[in-house]
Amino acid sequence: MKLAQRYNRANLITSFIILTITGVIYYIAIHFILTGKLDKDLVIEEKEIEAYARNNGKLLSPGDFLHQKVTYQKLTTGQTIERNFLYAEFYNEDEKEIEPGRSLITSVNINGQNYQVTISKSRAESEDLIQLIFMITLAVTILLLVSLLLINRFVLQRIWSPFYSTLGMMKAFNIAQKEEIRPQLTKIDEFNELNKSANAMAARVRKDYRELKNFTDNASHEMMTPLAIINSKLDSLLQTGTFSSEQGALIENIYTAIGRLIKLNQSLLLLAKIENKLISDVQDIDMQQLARDKALQFQELFEKDRLTLEQEMQPCNIRMSKYLADILLNNLFSNAIRHNHSGGSIEVVLRAGLLTISNTGKSEGLDNQLFERFSKSASSEGTGLGLAISKQICTLYGFTLTYQHLENRHQFLVKF
Amino acid sequence: MKILVIEDEESLRESIVVYLKGEGNICEVAGTYWNAMEKINLYSYDCILLDLTLPGGDGLKILSEIKNLNKTEGVLIISARHSLDDKLSGLEMGADDYLVKPFHLSELKARIMAIVRRKNFSGSNLMSFNEINLDLLAMEVRIKEKLVTLTKKEYDLLIYFISNQGKVITKNAIAEHLWGDEIDMSDDFDFIYTHIKNLRKKLVEAGAKDYIRSMYGVGYKLENV
Repeated sequence: MKLAQRYNRANLITSFIILTITGVIYYIAIHFILTGKLDKDLVIEEKEIEAYARNNGKLLSPGDFLHQKVTYQKLTTGQTIERNFLYAEFYNEDEKEIEPGRSLITSVNINGQNYQVTISKSRAESEDLIQLIFMITLAVTILLLVSLLLINRFVLQRIWSPFYSTLGMMKAFNIAQKEEIRPQLTKIDEFNELNKSANAMAARVRKDYRELKNFTDNASHEMMTPLAIINSKLDSLLQTGTFSSEQGALIENIYTAIGRLIKLNQSLLLLAKIENKLISDVQDIDMQQLARDKALQFQELFEKDRLTLEQEMQPCNIRMSKYLADILLNNLFSNAIRHNHSGGSIEVVLRAGLLTISNTGKSEGLDNQLFERFSKSASSEGTGLGLAISKQICTLYGFTLTYQHLENRHQFLVKF
Repeated sequence: MKILVIEDEESLRESIVVYLKGEGNICEVAGTYWNAMEKINLYSYDCILLDLTLPGGDGLKILSEIKNLNKTEGVLIISARHSLDDKLSGLEMGADDYLVKPFHLSELKARIMAIVRRKNFSGSNLMSFNEINLDLLAMEVRIKEKLVTLTKKEYDLLIYFISNQGKVITKNAIAEHLWGDEIDMSDDFDFIYTHIKNLRKKLVEAGAKDYIRSMYGVGYKLENV
């Protein structure tokens, strides 16, 4: 549930309850006040009747009253009447209809004879008043609720829009990209604070990430110099004299290990560079030509393991860095060779927008981790970075690189 | 051939100098920016090896100084920075080649030889080793006037050998030279043996002596017999 919705609901329910209760109290209070006023009027009439009877020794004629009706009834001796206010019907002779009324029943004594006196007054006016007040209250209630709803809907939406814009930017936040969280300008302190915190956090995360990356980058760079020295010293060592085949084998082992270390370092640097988008020689690449060149370049390696290569190529032009296109194909080709078995086959199919390289190899499929860094089978002699680099290259250009194990073949698909 | 090695890492500089010296080659060294500036202003060389990260200044500035002086030296940049931008700006500023550290000394020598060849013989580009003669423009190999047909890789291999004559070249270096160092090859370079065997066979069949020898299982050497 959205905050606004939640707030709206609470707001509306509370407003409704309070307004209803107020309405009821209002109604009761006004009813009480108006009844009190009617009763007071009735008492004035009663006093008048009593005064007239006392002074004149007779009853006032019922016809002498305006807006109210008075009836007399002779009481038998000893019968007493309790003075009492009550609600009764009132017959309006002008309008010839029965209206709600209020009556006062009392008694008056004239010359020892008791009379019951009933004074009635119409309540129509006060009822009308109550009704009017009720209608106004209802109208106000409805108006208030509607305006609350509208305020919530439009004003709240506008007030919260900086929040949603910040949220959107936080969602889209990419650690590797340089774009900052640029919040909508707002006068609301909380949102400004949120934006400030979000930006501070982003900056901190970026800084940590950058430091980590710089560290990797620098470490790899720094390692290159000693590696270059070892490599050159080995080359020099080899020229110094005669070695036995045993020594030769040792030197070769060192070369191999150094070669792997160099390769690993270069791969790490390359990964960092792709991530930082530092490779910019984007150009039109004729994939068909490039794939053919690669097949030719790898020819000797195919022959070495007696692999057969099947090619089916259609024209396909891609916009990307030549350097990275080279590396992508190199990685996929060497992968297909490396994880093949002797006498196996490699199939390269290029169609517009799709490159498939499949190879024979181990019977079981590979797990999903294969695109992760340093994920490699125990028997693999590679750096474990080849596929991670390939994936990164594809991600950089919005291509997708997927793997599937189909009919006992390992298949890598690049959708351009 | 007179070569100036501008490299601040003493150990690496020394290896390079030892490898390049001999066969009438003279090497001079410079370890700092100012030292290098002084040398390029005072002397002339056939080829200058230029490291880009030097104490005292940027190697690219030395390159522009060389160009400002209208010097004709070939410049080979050797850099630890495997950066495409550096490479492009270096080549744009007039460097002849760009080699990323770490490299094999045999690769360095081959590149230097190629640069010097291009600089010195701007017309016919010939190379020879005893009775083996190469016409680099026509991409032809002749032995005593007899044309030898080589594949592209065998031809490249022969040039590589002649450039590094008398030196042991490792299988690793040969593989990288012929197939490029971007290829994540298996660590088993024995498949190179086939190519070397074919090259030797073709040369011997055409009447040349067998100059290429296998060295301790690590690599090969082309030398006078």
